[in-house]
Amino acid sequence: MKKESWAMQDASTQKRGFNAFLPYIIPAAFLIIWMLVSESGLIPNYLLPHPLEIGKTGYAYIFGKQGEAPYAGRFLSDAGASLVRVGMGFAAAVVLGLPLGIVSGRLSRVQKFFSTTINALRAVPGITWLPLAMVWFGIGIKTTVFLVGLAAFFPIYLNAAAGATQVNPLLLQAGAMMGVRRIRGTFAILLPGAMPHIMTGLRLGLGVSWAYLVLGELTGVPNGLGAVIMDARMLGRIDIIVVGIIIIAVIGRFSDQLLQASMRFCFKSARRIC
Amino acid sequence: MKTHLKAVPAPRHGRKQSILEISGLRKVFEVNGSFHTVLEDINLRAEGGELICILGRSGCGKSTLLKILAGFIPSSSGALHVKGKPVIHPGSDRCVVFQEDALFPWLTVRENIAFGLKGKGMGKKAFKKEVDRYLSLVGLSEFENYVPGDISGGMKQRVALARVLILKPEVLLMDEPFVSLDAQTREEMQNLLLSIWSVLAHTIIFVTHDVNEAVTLADRILIMGNDPGRIKEEIRIGLPRPRKRETREFLELSRRLHEYLRD
Repeated sequence: MKKESWAMQDASTQKRGFNAFLPYIIPAAFLIIWMLVSESGLIPNYLLPHPLEIGKTGYAYIFGKQGEAPYAGRFLSDAGASLVRVGMGFAAAVVLGLPLGIVSGRLSRVQKFFSTTINALRAVPGITWLPLAMVWFGIGIKTTVFLVGLAAFFPIYLNAAAGATQVNPLLLQAGAMMGVRRIRGTFAILLPGAMPHIMTGLRLGLGVSWAYLVLGELTGVPNGLGAVIMDARMLGRIDIIVVGIIIIAVIGRFSDQLLQASMRFCFKSARRIC
Repeated sequence: MKTHLKAVPAPRHGRKQSILEISGLRKVFEVNGSFHTVLEDINLRAEGGELICILGRSGCGKSTLLKILAGFIPSSSGALHVKGKPVIHPGSDRCVVFQEDALFPWLTVRENIAFGLKGKGMGKKAFKKEVDRYLSLVGLSEFENYVPGDISGGMKQRVALARVLILKPEVLLMDEPFVSLDAQTREEMQNLLLSIWSVLAHTIIFVTHDVNEAVTLADRILIMGNDPGRIKEEIRIGLPRPRKRETREFLELSRRLHEYLRD
């Protein structure tokens, strides 16, 4: 019997080891294929630089001293600027979208009042706002924050509304019979009940924020990850473009995990039912 | 033959205080422009500490009646008072144990039981003591930190029972609470309910379609007929508790109730 339990434990730890490895299979495979393609010369270096070169450029971009090379050492200021823009735009979208979505999900009048407008606006691609935003806000942080906020608003609003609509009515009844009034009911039952949807909305919103960040920074702001990419294109520095893409991917993934972790830290419902 | 089955007229000189009074209650639903009477002329007087089973087949309106008692939906006409006060909204004087799982899935067993007690201005120590008491009353002390997703159906209904008992409701409304449990667990839950009831002496309105369940539990059984739902028969059960299902009296009662239901 002891033997058996040992065996089972072995199997489970092995499994866990394998699972930890799972997320990196695709990136690793991608890297290997990229290397092979570069080594063999199938794709010329000016279209897609060798991974090692990207590594060197990335290292210089992140850890190099400013002035050593054209892009050396700019990472911190670029990432900082971008983070601030994403943070502000996303925060604005949450502050507007979450309450509005929850209320729309519960009150059909509010839903009717907003839904046509919001769904019409949602159909407009974000990029078409760019010229208008530039006229309104000029080139700079305001335009970017506006675009990020606009883009992140829709998934947050729609998912919050869906979550609030789909909360099990029994839970609300149960609250009512236990003497829970509207305000406590909202915070202690409605919001936790809608949490899985709210969480999805926030994650989608944050993801889209990064996408629109680059769009907003294409307009000629001096710093930011999107600005660097655009700048590098003008100068023909494909390696910097790729470095920028990878950095955005990594930061985007990281911010998603941070978002989930902080939601789980703050809310029982996020911890236990998401 | 001595019978434990007798029809009772509405008690006129009740010694105990009447807790729940329903008179001439009627419920009409509008379906696609036509009107459908679900409940017709329901009259009921429940005394303090009485355990009343409302027995009826599916669709007779017994759950609708319970929802009206709970204040979830309004009646179309008739009067409904709990301790002399008219019922308008849901409130913690009439607590419901639902048929379905209606626990908050993001709260632990302990937090679910404590939910209704929060914000009632209790001291921290007294609060914890009270929650502990009801946890152990339903035998879930060891499972206090589990979430509903990790416990069995029977345990969930224990939590559902404890979270309303802790509020000391005037009337406990139970809407086929054990229907989705297996036979053994159901019997266990019935025994648990009876033993808790013998201590706390709540007034209980228990809706069920299960004849055996009604005979096991009730002081009084109200049999509801279909279409429109009304109380066809009122039967007082005089069998001493604990009631054994194998006894002749029990079986005889069950058989007759089955007949009433069939008509």
